[in-house]
Amino acid sequence: MATVESVLSGLADDRATGTLRLGKAGTFYLTGGRVTYAESAAAPRLEDLLTAGRRVSAHAVRQARQSAGEERRGGELLVAQGVLTRGELEFCVLSAVLDAVYFLFDATGHRPRFRPGDQHWLGPQWYFDVTGLLRECRRRRTQLDQAWPSAELDTLPVVPVGRVPCQRVVLTSLQWEVLVGADSAATPGDLARKLGRPAYSVLLAVRQLAAAGLIRTSAAGPGEPEALPRRTKGGTDDVRSLAAVATEPPGPSAPLPPTTGDPTDVNLLIRLRNALEALS
Amino acid sequence: MLGIEDCLTEVMAIPGALDAILIDQTSGMAVAVGGGSRHVDTEKSAAGLSETLRATLDGLATTSPGGTIRISDMIITTDNGHHLLRPLETVFDGPLVIYVRLDLERSNLALARHRLQALSGRLITT
Repeated sequence: MATVESVLSGLADDRATGTLRLGKAGTFYLTGGRVTYAESAAAPRLEDLLTAGRRVSAHAVRQARQSAGEERRGGELLVAQGVLTRGELEFCVLSAVLDAVYFLFDATGHRPRFRPGDQHWLGPQWYFDVTGLLRECRRRRTQLDQAWPSAELDTLPVVPVGRVPCQRVVLTSLQWEVLVGADSAATPGDLARKLGRPAYSVLLAVRQLAAAGLIRTSAAGPGEPEALPRRTKGGTDDVRSLAAVATEPPGPSAPLPPTTGDPTDVNLLIRLRNALEALS
Repeated sequence: MLGIEDCLTEVMAIPGALDAILIDQTSGMAVAVGGGSRHVDTEKSAAGLSETLRATLDGLATTSPGGTIRISDMIITTDNGHHLLRPLETVFDGPLVIYVRLDLERSNLALARHRLQALSGRLITT
């Protein structure tokens, strides 16, 4: 099956203009073969980022969106109305696109569909080439893993610890926002939408907070094996009870992340197998 | 009102400017590059510079009486130039950091600071 990268590279070679839709996961917008916009279901929309700071009103954005046309793009309207400076608009598009693309390249279970001609209402504000996008996504993935080498927190609710395991804490402004916004139910994705911050930035802040011991992680740190389920009496029942233990959520309120091909899931399965082998 | 590329052009017009990078502080990504920076590994430079700023923020936060810190600009002088870093708060993410390296002999630090300040007001209004 063709990957997103190969489809995008093909469209880049054809200098295509239009949208590449990846089912429900999101959409790439291309202009003359280069990516000019992207949106992902996992990341806040550009409109949300703009209006979250309260400096830009939702009304101004809606108005620009409605009056945007072929000859006058929404982005130019926003700048002309003095809602944003050109630099702010460009930087916002840059943040939103890189944020969305990070999650789009990971999206699975969809069939990419290209529709020629479609354009985003903002118009092209910044041009990205596909290799540059892929390189930046790789860099971001490494950065996340350096902060905290486990993806298990990415989809779980963020739960700050009650007591801090040190005498003094230094936070960045985003880490502060994440801790204040965390209600023990919101996942990093929910927090990004709530705070109007890029989802990747929130993910990074969450992993940094985990590394600092400021939010709750599963009992063991990354790489360390968790305690195995206690062995119970009875022959074949063991298998069932072990499986039950393994699928139980880690905390009373924390739901399990959706099933993935994620290495943490694989690790769990390997530990389970070892436990079963030890039983026989 | 300035776009990102115009901003970089103006930064490079500061007397004695050798190279300039616009950095997204959160991800440590080089947003735009000007001057001699085109020849060095900008990705590494951007990551290193944002790390420098982060470490300075952490260090100064612990020594400041209130425990919080906001850097307006930062000047580091090494034997290959003055390095100016200016973080700009943005509405959505960031900060965005303007970095410029100035020639030790041909630059005027006060002028450069003044120009950066004026520039940032036109790039981003907060």
